[in-house]
Amino acid sequence: MYHALLANRYLTSRVIPLIAVAAVALCVALVIMVVSVMTGFLDMVRLSGRTLMGDVIISSPVSGIPYYERLLDRIEDLPGVAAASPIVNTWGLLKMPYPQGINKEVETVQVWGIEPRGFAQVTEYADTLYWRTNTPDELAEMQPDDPRIRLNEPRTTGEPTTAELLQRDGLALRHAERPGAVLGLHVSVGNERQSDGSIRPMADNYWWMPRHDVTLTLVPVDPKGGLQAPESRVFPVVNEFFSGVYLIDDKRVLIPLSVAQDMLHLDEDQYVDPDELDDQTGLPKVIGIYPRRATMILIRATDGVSPDELLEPLGAAYDAFAEDILNDADALLSAPMRAFGLTIKTWEQQQAKFIGPIEKERELMRTLFSLVYLVCAGLVLAIFWAIVYEKTRDIGILRSIGASRLGISWIFLRYGLVVGVAGAIVGVGIAWVVIRNINMIHDTLGDPPPALAYTAGAAALASLVITVVAARTGRLMPIVLGGLVTFTLAGITTLIIVLQRAGGVVIWDPSVYYFTDIPSTMDVETAIITTIGAVLFSLIGAFLPAAQAADTDPVKALRYE
Amino acid sequence: MSNALLVADNLSKTYRLGRVDVPVLNGMTLRVDAGEWVAVLGASGSGKSTLLHLLGDLDRPDPGGGEVLFEDQSLASRSRRARNHYRNRSIGFVFQFYHLLSELNVLENTLLPALVGLHRWQYYRRIGALRRRGTALLESFGLGDRLKHRPRELSGGERQRVAIARALMNNPRVLLADEPTGNLDEKTGEGILDLIAEQHRNGLTIVMVTHDPAIANRADRNVHLHDGRIE
Repeated sequence: MYHALLANRYLTSRVIPLIAVAAVALCVALVIMVVSVMTGFLDMVRLSGRTLMGDVIISSPVSGIPYYERLLDRIEDLPGVAAASPIVNTWGLLKMPYPQGINKEVETVQVWGIEPRGFAQVTEYADTLYWRTNTPDELAEMQPDDPRIRLNEPRTTGEPTTAELLQRDGLALRHAERPGAVLGLHVSVGNERQSDGSIRPMADNYWWMPRHDVTLTLVPVDPKGGLQAPESRVFPVVNEFFSGVYLIDDKRVLIPLSVAQDMLHLDEDQYVDPDELDDQTGLPKVIGIYPRRATMILIRATDGVSPDELLEPLGAAYDAFAEDILNDADALLSAPMRAFGLTIKTWEQQQAKFIGPIEKERELMRTLFSLVYLVCAGLVLAIFWAIVYEKTRDIGILRSIGASRLGISWIFLRYGLVVGVAGAIVGVGIAWVVIRNINMIHDTLGDPPPALAYTAGAAALASLVITVVAARTGRLMPIVLGGLVTFTLAGITTLIIVLQRAGGVVIWDPSVYYFTDIPSTMDVETAIITTIGAVLFSLIGAFLPAAQAADTDPVKALRYE
Repeated sequence: MSNALLVADNLSKTYRLGRVDVPVLNGMTLRVDAGEWVAVLGASGSGKSTLLHLLGDLDRPDPGGGEVLFEDQSLASRSRRARNHYRNRSIGFVFQFYHLLSELNVLENTLLPALVGLHRWQYYRRIGALRRRGTALLESFGLGDRLKHRPRELSGGERQRVAIARALMNNPRVLLADEPTGNLDEKTGEGILDLIAEQHRNGLTIVMVTHDPAIANRADRNVHLHDGRIE
């Protein structure tokens, strides 16, 4: 039982072990923070896929899937399928209503033609609408000048609030009987992200998109890949969506499916025989109808069914559908073959090219940062070696009163264990606090408040005064310590001033990292592994000094002064 | 059967200093009977402390260089565990420079041999009784008001009394004292010798190393070490 008493006293009566604890804590915090952000980033990529694409995607670009309604019927009859919705996916040019001279007046955008109701069943569309009725809890968390608070204010006349109207228009993709467009929140340069993460329309809310019209131009492509004459339409912006994935919020525009089909010539069309004229109209005779086409089908699985489980039945359903079309004498177009351009993939497979490198990057980071374990072991070894050297006489005394070699070594192993555990706990705490507030810290770096510079400056001045007073004693330590503190505080003050002058620094650029917020959830698995690693390597670091202590010759130790 | 409690039988010990072998003990023999107080006298470097270290199993004789017997049993024939037990229970060491642990207070220093000998499951059962014994021991040595003090807060004489209390904590059969008054003034030294004499009257066997004949006179028997042998 003397091990606990001595390990505790050696730990609490000196500063050196606290330095070891601090070093282990910083190492642990570093690993957890880096890997947590990477894991959070990966999870966000994965989740966003499901939020925006459903579970499984059937895709046939350009020519599209004809008679897709029949395919939808087959798919929705499959067990495990909750809903399915057709999409037309293309690229176009969007003319924004900014005054001339503002950048990005014409935007290249990814256009999705959707059936809003079905799309909302397959994806989290309704929840991504930015201008909508907010819950009291959501409103309570907003900044007082957030425009959404005003939009949610009830009207005295009992009419729906503006937020309700916007939500209704967004879900219907219409405004006053006109087909409307829902833009990704970052398509408009008028939406500025604030330091608290909320979005404010620029120029005194003038560039609030739902009050403007935009012009969308699409270029139809014939089945052979040839370009046809571009089609332009004016759409009222009925709402905006915010998925959190910058790449999508910056580029994607949603319009009604029927309008997209019309503009891309994927809608129903007459098939005429140019050699035979209609008796009544005198025009070439109509001998059939080309079907509407969709370029993608999004499918959502029921709860408890994994997307992978759906791949096989969906493949079989598609093959049966293609066979059915082939055997239909009235069908003018055949369904694309699975071997030639048509794909059936889960959302994870769809994102694989993007997720794969990030996963590899995370593992690389995990491996590289694991080197800090060696730093832990090295630090503990160096510090404990010094402690064993300092405690040589104590070891001799303990041996003289009957302590065994194992008992002596266990004091230092126990000591290492405590340093490892305490360091790991403190490290997890630091990591948790930093990760929870990482966006606030990032925003503060991006726009450092002047008060921070004043505070650091005043502290530097106070430290300087104390150092000068302490210097009168003639002792060197207060001068060195005071000088270091003053120098550090002055450095922080200068850094803040430089950051303010430079307009802040943006480390997490949404256009690079795709997401507007830095992931702020601690990766529990990494925290557990890192804690175990730190404790283990602290113990490994303590092994050598412990063995050295156990082998100390008691006679020499007792003579040691 | 002999009456000797502790025997140094034909002990030889050589230290190696760099490339030179320095013989310290050269086939010396000493018998200490139970309840006897033996003072070992000798000049500096005569091997007095080395003898004490060998008797206390802190060091071992040269190979073939004799043996130490306690209660007629050779220490060399005992297991490591038994030898640890011997140092913990059968003997108590008192050093010239006290050798107290600076991180522990007076009571904790005194309790240390008892703690070393305790297993975890014994600790919670016996710690109360041990504390009472340690406190009583220190009070009998006039240190009742110093229990929570650290060694640096004590005088030399007080530190040596704590060291003696520590040595007696486990009720050893033999007290091995290495110049116990060597670092103290005469008056304080006398007080420490009185304390040792009192333990001797209570039946404790004592082997004391000193270079001062006046101090050695308090013992039952004096032996002189010269050239590594008892004269």
